[in-house]
Amino acid sequence: MRRTTPGGKGIRGREGIAGWLFVSPMIIILGLFLVIPVVMALWVSLTNWNGSVNPFQGGPGAQFVGVRNYTDLFAKDGLTRSNFMQSIGNTFWYVLFVVPLQTALALGLALLVNTKMLKAKGFFRTAFYFPSVTSSIAISTVFLFLFSSTGAVNALLGAIGLGQPNWFSDSRGLVHLLLGAVGVDNPSWAQGEVLGRTLWDWFSGPSVALTVIIFLVVWTTSGTFMLMFIAALQDLPVEVDEAAALDGTSGWQKLRHVTIPMIRPTLFLVITLGLIGTWQVFDQIYVMGKGNPDGTTLTPAYLSYQQSFGNFKYGSGAAMAFVVFAIIVVLTRIQRWALSDKDERRPLLRRRKAVTR
Amino acid sequence: MNRRVSPVKQVVLYVALVLFAILFIYPFFIQIATSFKTDPDAAAHPLSLIPNPFDLHAWKQIFGQGSASVPFLTWMKNSVVIAVVVTVARVFLDSLAGYALSRLRFRGRGFVFAALLAVMSVPSVALLIPKFLMVNYLGIYDTYTAMILPLIVDGAGVFIMKQFFDSVPVSIEEAARMDGASIFRTFWSVVLPMARPALITLTILSFQGSWNEFTHFLVTTQSLEHKTLVTGLASLVSGQLGTGTQYPLKLGAALLTTIPVAVIFFALQRYFIRGANEGGVKG
Amino acid sequence: MRRTPILAVALAATSALALSACGGGGGFSSNSATQNSKSGPVKLTMMIGSSGDAETAAVKEATSAWAKKTGNTVEVIAASDLGQQLGQAFASSSPPDLFYTDASKIGTYAKAGNLFAYGDQVKDAGFVDSLVQSFTYDGKFYCAPKDSSTLGLQINTDLWKKAGLTDADIPKDWAGLETVAKKLTSGNVTGLVIGNDINRSGAFMKQAGGWVVTDGKMSADAAGNLQGLQEVQKMMKDGSLKFNTQTKPAAGWGGEAFGKGLAAMTIEGNWIAGGMKDFPNIKYKTVELPAGPAGKGTLTFTNCWGIAAKSPNQAQAVELVKSLITPEQQMKFADAFGVMPSTTEGLKQFGEKYPDSKAFVDGAAYGQGPVNLAGLDEVIGKFNSQLGTMTGTSGDPKAWLSDLQKNGTAALAG
Repeated sequence: MRRTTPGGKGIRGREGIAGWLFVSPMIIILGLFLVIPVVMALWVSLTNWNGSVNPFQGGPGAQFVGVRNYTDLFAKDGLTRSNFMQSIGNTFWYVLFVVPLQTALALGLALLVNTKMLKAKGFFRTAFYFPSVTSSIAISTVFLFLFSSTGAVNALLGAIGLGQPNWFSDSRGLVHLLLGAVGVDNPSWAQGEVLGRTLWDWFSGPSVALTVIIFLVVWTTSGTFMLMFIAALQDLPVEVDEAAALDGTSGWQKLRHVTIPMIRPTLFLVITLGLIGTWQVFDQIYVMGKGNPDGTTLTPAYLSYQQSFGNFKYGSGAAMAFVVFAIIVVLTRIQRWALSDKDERRPLLRRRKAVTR
Repeated sequence: MNRRVSPVKQVVLYVALVLFAILFIYPFFIQIATSFKTDPDAAAHPLSLIPNPFDLHAWKQIFGQGSASVPFLTWMKNSVVIAVVVTVARVFLDSLAGYALSRLRFRGRGFVFAALLAVMSVPSVALLIPKFLMVNYLGIYDTYTAMILPLIVDGAGVFIMKQFFDSVPVSIEEAARMDGASIFRTFWSVVLPMARPALITLTILSFQGSWNEFTHFLVTTQSLEHKTLVTGLASLVSGQLGTGTQYPLKLGAALLTTIPVAVIFFALQRYFIRGANEGGVKG
Repeated sequence: MRRTPILAVALAATSALALSACGGGGGFSSNSATQNSKSGPVKLTMMIGSSGDAETAAVKEATSAWAKKTGNTVEVIAASDLGQQLGQAFASSSPPDLFYTDASKIGTYAKAGNLFAYGDQVKDAGFVDSLVQSFTYDGKFYCAPKDSSTLGLQINTDLWKKAGLTDADIPKDWAGLETVAKKLTSGNVTGLVIGNDINRSGAFMKQAGGWVVTDGKMSADAAGNLQGLQEVQKMMKDGSLKFNTQTKPAAGWGGEAFGKGLAAMTIEGNWIAGGMKDFPNIKYKTVELPAGPAGKGTLTFTNCWGIAAKSPNQAQAVELVKSLITPEQQMKFADAFGVMPSTTEGLKQFGEKYPDSKAFVDGAAYGQGPVNLAGLDEVIGKFNSQLGTMTGTSGDPKAWLSDLQKNGTAALAG
């Protein structure tokens, strides 16, 4: 690391001052608008601030309540807990669908586009990537129209003789619908309550309305992840390809035993980014239903916003945000651990070296 | 992949690609077409790409003067001004910090970089209330200052620039410094010109990021004249139902929000693609 | 390597915060209980949730006329999401001086100390009594009702004639409603389509003598509420009533189903006139809602002119409000964008000028205002989400009402 610099101490001193000068705008801005605010919000999450007084002065409207905002989310029977738990349940299903789907679609598109001798490669890559660069609000607006009761998707479904759901007001869960089709409806074994919700509710699956948002997000994010996969695929040594071809392995076998293990670091990155992103979904919810129907599109991020700016329970809202923060940290840790365990830790170590270079 | 791809396989491949391309692109064509339709036409023929009749009322409303409750022109001005100011400031300050973290040896550098990584890992969802608190605390709520100032540095951009400077050899700037040029001068006239590809990538990421920004403006502003196209569109779309669905207007506004980024995208595609990969470090 | 910096940064930030806290929190200010007034000409800011350009222009015209007369200035801000924007504005140091306030928000705003209660200064303006009740919280009349709307029954006159019905068949009670709804139901047309929340089904609850809140206490478990919902469910079972989400294709609201000819009747308010502009071919008329076992009942929706507790210009703001609630001014608003006046005198003039809207005007005399207690809007939201899933054969109104009672009681207690 250490290089010998000509000039000795004088330049070192100049570098010291210049270094701090150069990073000072960053330190001031990130400190002022990121670090200190987070500490402020931590304080607010320990108060019952209602927005009408100075939150740092105490007194009525901003009393210190300890960790009550946090414990209420988990232990106090009431609307706040039931909404929060519903939002957690929704997000759980949302993540369970979005992360595998977008990863698989991105990888599939990358493999297709990366085919040798493909004509118009650039066109296809552009087409798949374009949705990723546009505003999430604008895209949500388009999807509102596409999936409205008289929208393009229903027109298409009608044209091929299928049912036309009212996407944004259908609160039925997919798993419930599936079970309903085989005659299971709210059976007695599913009546046990966990954190204030019945097992039946926890296992509802994403609602029809949430499914639209799942489509939307998979559709918009796949392009970005596709590019990451393409970059990884292009870095693969040619010999691997040829060796596999000589062995006479089928395309599928090659994908499973050769390609995927070799792009494992990218796969890991895509899944991690997917996990982080999906737990934070906000913009789409804001435009497409604000939690309706029946709370089935509520997400913790939106609920936190709603609880603060709509219901004036800023302490409770801030507490929700920090719980989500904690969930994201824990999930990425678990995922890192799970992926490293299987593979003798080697790819992970290699990856880490690459990042901290 | 085999050297010789069988014709059948090739047809399947192209059919799959074309189907996916339609899936990804058709919604944008519907969006364009619908913005030129009348409200009943949009409801009756949602799939059609040909407006019948061809109707400009949505666009007249967007560019017209009489629209007091939906002042698109003001929003457009805000979007442009903010995106340009934020981008210029960000590119300069990010590369300044990235350069220092990569090249200048100063006490505490390791700590600053580690702190930067820590700060970058804070998810944006945890920042809605914090930003609102700070902006209020400083008394700049609902001002351009509150909209712009917190955005002029971003951790991911600093990180990208640091990575870039780490990857280029030091010899040229050392020569410049041997000639007695000051550190800032070396940075400005030797290092920055060399960093052109990274700067373009960062410019694109910054412009796209600030143009598409939503939550930051949502919690730091309230008035109609401080809305950008994105926040304005969001409130237009999530506003009162029951007063008519007005899809042509909404989709026209969404199109307007999309166009600048789209133009830059098609013009600077290859840098975009590079940016997507480097932007991957963004949490 | 990474844990230390986080901790250190947090520590540094905390101490920085502690230091700056001594300087007081710039933007946050405390509110005052007494009336604030600056002397001399002032600049008032008014935030409105506008239904469109017509409304914005009318409000601007009215306020600038007052401004000219008194030498003050008024800036009108048309908010797009009034509730959210007000929430943020209240927490900042300078909320707008005046703003539209929905009756269902009164309790929440008043309890948080955001509203200046000036009702005493305007109580002689002759407001409709139920509107005064809507803006009274904890015994205080907070703000002057701006306008009102009530629900009526819209009838598609073409379908009505086609089913062989005449004016004599216009339903006066639930039995009559059931009869005509059945006759009007055929094919893809449902007799009556209504919105799927308490803002429509609540009218049936009221007609059966129930309501969610009585004298500041939850009364969701009262018998009338269940009876009202059971009537809705009964008609659903007959197939003569559907929620807007249950028609094929589904509709965004009752008016949309009505406009698309999926419904022969719907229950909506004054805003139906605007909604029907999208469907110019539908001929319809509005009549009063049929009476239930406990007599006539409808729901009233209303906004008031709220004044901020933090406003430094409260005296001038009250003066401005006084100029906006005169019958003449309210009639101008009615002409411009269709809302009904909030005073008995204004309503009388409105009824004479717009005979088609007579049913709405008549409803104002007995309309039930929204639930306005603090913290109840989220409880009602939960109830709505349950109610929305009701069908003729599934859904348990009794359980929903008891949830509503339980959640509501808890919310009112804490």
